[in-house]
Amino acid sequence: MFKYIVKRIAYSVLILLGVSLIIYFLIRLMPVDFIQDKINAINQGGATVSEETVQAMYEMYGLGDNSVKGILKGYFSWLGALAQGDLGTSFVYGIPVARVITEHMGVSFAVSLIATVFEFLIAIPLGITAARHQYSLRDYIVTILVMIGISLPSFFFGQMLKDVLALKLGWFPPSGLVNATASYNGIQLLLDQMYHMFIPILTIVILSIGARMRMTRTNMLEVLNSDYIRTARAKGLKESVVINKHAFRNTLIPLVTSLAGLLPSLFSGAIITEQVFDLPGIGNIALDAMNRGDIPFIMGYNMFLALLSVLGVLLADLMYGLVDPRVKLE
Amino acid sequence: MEELEMKKEEAVDAELPLDKNVRLMSPTRMVVRRFFRSRLSIIGLIMVVSLFLFSFVGPLVYTQWGEIELDESGKTEYASSVTTYTVDGEEYTVRQTTEKYLKDNFLSAPSSEHILGTDNEGYDVFVRLMYGGRISLIVSFIAVFLITILGVVLGGIAGYFGGAIDNIIMRICDVLMCLPGVPILLIISTILDASDIDAKYRIYLLMIYLTFISWTGTARLVRGQILSLREQEYMVAAEAMGYSTSRKIFKHLVPNVMPQLIVQMTLSLGSMILYEATLSYLNLGVKAPYAAWGTMINIISTNQDVLQNHWYVWVPAGICIVIAVLGFNFVGDGLRDALDPKGRR
Repeated sequence: MFKYIVKRIAYSVLILLGVSLIIYFLIRLMPVDFIQDKINAINQGGATVSEETVQAMYEMYGLGDNSVKGILKGYFSWLGALAQGDLGTSFVYGIPVARVITEHMGVSFAVSLIATVFEFLIAIPLGITAARHQYSLRDYIVTILVMIGISLPSFFFGQMLKDVLALKLGWFPPSGLVNATASYNGIQLLLDQMYHMFIPILTIVILSIGARMRMTRTNMLEVLNSDYIRTARAKGLKESVVINKHAFRNTLIPLVTSLAGLLPSLFSGAIITEQVFDLPGIGNIALDAMNRGDIPFIMGYNMFLALLSVLGVLLADLMYGLVDPRVKLE
Repeated sequence: MEELEMKKEEAVDAELPLDKNVRLMSPTRMVVRRFFRSRLSIIGLIMVVSLFLFSFVGPLVYTQWGEIELDESGKTEYASSVTTYTVDGEEYTVRQTTEKYLKDNFLSAPSSEHILGTDNEGYDVFVRLMYGGRISLIVSFIAVFLITILGVVLGGIAGYFGGAIDNIIMRICDVLMCLPGVPILLIISTILDASDIDAKYRIYLLMIYLTFISWTGTARLVRGQILSLREQEYMVAAEAMGYSTSRKIFKHLVPNVMPQLIVQMTLSLGSMILYEATLSYLNLGVKAPYAAWGTMINIISTNQDVLQNHWYVWVPAGICIVIAVLGFNFVGDGLRDALDPKGRR
């Protein structure tokens, strides 16, 4: 087991290196005078990008030297900085990118975590009923509804919910995270934030239930067709025991694995949803950074996301070996 | 068994040989039959076909307005203000109405002139829906086509040769799968900004970049299938016949992967439409004045008035996206069930 974990970690580091190579290649594709234009635009927009920040970025990425040696040198100096957790300094915010990310990660994490909990709570029972009554009317209705959920573009559905629930009915605040006119603190502040997060979470849950429900349904169908379920029924066990104790436990394996894989991605932020509801999460910040040409931030953000997904794959693999005794680890 | 379906009308005649007594069905026909037996796949097919007709034939039939033709019939806007004066203890109310004449007839409600009204610039929404559909459908077809070619070639090579080549290709897959989708496109879009590209072709370039990072799913699927297929007897036979490698891969192995591939392609058409719409919504893809469904919704992210009071500008585009994605998903699901030889329904 220990050997397997070490091997998997080493392998993840290799993947990360590959990802960093691609991202570095992308920044090298940007012409230097274009970057200068962007910096000028930011300067005109009110913020000031200090000369040092710009110089530091040029040095970090090794821009300006287009010989093979220069590119290689730039890559390794960038990689060295990355290894120390230095993602450069954001043009727009004037503070290290890593700090911008950690400051805004919390909101995104809260939204995604709550959404994921509800997603699992709703999707799993739906998937199980659909599988138990395969090809029945219930199965069809559930399948059609979740298919519609999968097919909805998040920006369209989010705006629609915002229009109806927040603007027309006035039940929820349309955007932002806190009530700007009131100064809450403690538990009140938390409740207010939850109140603001309600529609964004609702949007994410409705859009993501579908995939999870279909996954549960497929797994459940597979398990229900296996021999040991027939044995359990032949023994005369109650149907509820067969489903809840025998079948459901085995459907849990892929669910737990996918949950482990999901964990890191909870920090990555939902770009579109956050943009629609103007939540100060990391996705919204990244989009804004892109629009304003904050190149160090976009680069850092992409590296951060890649790290999260590599971690996700790693966790899912390890979890799979842990929860399923049938899987042999070499 | 469905291959040998007994003739229903006549009883089986024991005198006749077997092949006269039963109707033979080719595998393709069986698939088609099974596909059309499912109501959902028919609904999906109708949705997709009608969207195609709407976007490609529509503009030829409905020619009142063009994609970027402004309605310049003008519009008069009235704004009134009420001021109250108090003179010698008596109140006077003055109602002042200003009449403003505007060149473009924008944000007009649906009427016989404009079936779905006009948007905030004065373009006809209905016509732009058709042109937007063209872009969305063409772009996603191109993307899926490229993804499939890349995926089949690389997955086929990896699965057939195995060993070091397989290892390299699969490791590239692993790396690409860890790249974040939309955020990477944010960078690529910035690069496109740097090199002046015509707004019309921008989305095509963006989607081509997208294919470079999205072929991994198809490649894995093809590789997995080929790994199991190449151990089968008929491949030994092909080997014994001395066929060339490319013939073995593309004539004997790939056709056997086709069923799964077709399903994958149909389902990814839906997700590509979503991708394109998202990019256009973020103003990275098709940019104004050209129309795309996502671009048509983009306006509400900055203009609250349109969001609240002029549903006809953005809701139809959203509905079109949903119909397209849902249609492709239904068809893909129907195909999956129809192509599954174990599915007996």
